[in-house]
Amino acid sequence: MFVSRSMTRKVITVDSETPVIEAQELMADNSIRHLPVVDQNQQLVGIVTDRDIRSALPYNYLKDTCSEEQREQFCALPVKDIMTKDPLAISPTYTIQDALLLIQNSKVGALPVVDDNRRLEGIISVRDLLRAFINVLGIGEPGTLLCIIVKEEVGQLKKIVDAITAENVSFGSVLVARYWEEDKRAVFIYLLTQNVAHVKKKLDSLGFTLLDPMEWYLDQLPTNESSPEKKLTIDPP
Amino acid sequence: MKKTGFLYDERYQLHLTGDYHPEMPDRLPCIYRGIQEAGLLSRLIHIKARRADMKWIEMVHDGRYIMRFEAACLSGKSMFDSPDNQVCYDTYEAALLAVGGILDVVSRVMEGDLDNAFCAVRPPGHHAEVNKAMGFCYFNNVAIAARYLQNQWGIERVGIIDFDVHHGNGTQHIFEQDSTVFYYSIHEHPSFAYPGTGREFEIGNNSGHGFTKNSPVLPGQGDDEYKRLMQKDLIPAFDEFKPEVILVSVGFDAHADDDMSDMKLSTAGFSWIMQRIVELGRQHSKGRIISVLEGGYSLERLPELAANHVEILLNA
Ligand SMILES: [Zn+2]
Repeated sequence: MFVSRSMTRKVITVDSETPVIEAQELMADNSIRHLPVVDQNQQLVGIVTDRDIRSALPYNYLKDTCSEEQREQFCALPVKDIMTKDPLAISPTYTIQDALLLIQNSKVGALPVVDDNRRLEGIISVRDLLRAFINVLGIGEPGTLLCIIVKEEVGQLKKIVDAITAENVSFGSVLVARYWEEDKRAVFIYLLTQNVAHVKKKLDSLGFTLLDPMEWYLDQLPTNESSPEKKLTIDPP
Repeated sequence: MKKTGFLYDERYQLHLTGDYHPEMPDRLPCIYRGIQEAGLLSRLIHIKARRADMKWIEMVHDGRYIMRFEAACLSGKSMFDSPDNQVCYDTYEAALLAVGGILDVVSRVMEGDLDNAFCAVRPPGHHAEVNKAMGFCYFNNVAIAARYLQNQWGIERVGIIDFDVHHGNGTQHIFEQDSTVFYYSIHEHPSFAYPGTGREFEIGNNSGHGFTKNSPVLPGQGDDEYKRLMQKDLIPAFDEFKPEVILVSVGFDAHADDDMSDMKLSTAGFSWIMQRIVELGRQHSKGRIISVLEGGYSLERLPELAANHVEILLNA
């Protein structure tokens, strides 16, 4: 689960003197939104995002109505003037869970991954995390998803797994969702089969409640809106 | 009355799937009985199966895959590629007969001996990939028929309509880069049903871009939603594509009484769908419609569904 397994290793970078205009082209050509800025030793000194660049553009630049002077000024603008200096970065031994929580909390779209000397090793973006979760959900494999509502007590999952294993059906994934009704959990089982009718009957005969697919959700906002969000304290290396 | 072919052969029941498997041999006699009891049997032109020439199967499937499948059956294995795909000694033979029977029907339609036809075959085909068996399917019957139409009969544009409740992943993948075969599928939304493909944004790749169309239907929906989606998605697409022949992957498993899905299509809803397909065939394909059985597991409903299906073809 370390980010080093999921991060992009071939990172496109710029140095702090690179003109902003060049950085913008690099991003567009490579369909990326984050460019780490490094020094000669590959040490991370900043990060520049497509958003930073957009807000640095003179407002009439794209319409070609800005003055020659404005244009020249902008073309001479180096990345270091608009980048975020010493950005939040993580070590390769951070886990995917760390990265998820940190990205959610800090509202950035990507995190540079650096070694103990702050030398750049990779970058992990929301996109990399999504890929990991597409894999976890088993979306790429043929199968059928069911949702079972269980009481929050020990041994429920075992009963489900035993019943399905007895039918010689393989699991693509099992997810247990939180934030369901009080004292209840939603167990999502992804079964690698088309043959679910008799699995459903069997679960029904064992007293499990299969939830109507139109009622499924993986997540919803906590009902108590006033509860303050937990503050995360993860110090970057 | 049209010259409607009915491909039916008892050897399709030799493919045994073991206890508790929904894709069971009994499905076919149910279909036969439904057609017989509706008094339609004598109006149909009965066609028996024949073995397919391997060269047509090889136009779709990998040669090594075909050998693997044959070896699994002949060596007495009970499953192939997944526990979903139960096989017996005769499964390979039944699959060859299914393809061969369909290709024979295609020839008869092209020669004008038949106007249209219903092929009641087992095993089904639309989940079968180039080199993988999936979802009770081994050879992709409809895909092979499409290639046969093009290569043997010089047909340029084949339209495939798949209304089995499950998405025909195999058929889509085989033709997704191909602008000469249009694949349209309406099925239960892939987040709720096997196999997990057939999303609205899957519309073909490269030169096949725009020649695949999917209408995913949310759980619990029935006739109204099917009508709305087919009118919005299928009819304009086929009016533009103008298929010279229409192949239909017929699945009856979207029926409200079929426990393989959450769909609530009625018997009348199935007739409505087939009527629209027949109209498309009349407009664009000189009435040349060949329908091939995929799923449909409610033994109570199969008789009436099959009878209505062939009656619409007879009155096309
Ligand atoms: Zn089906």
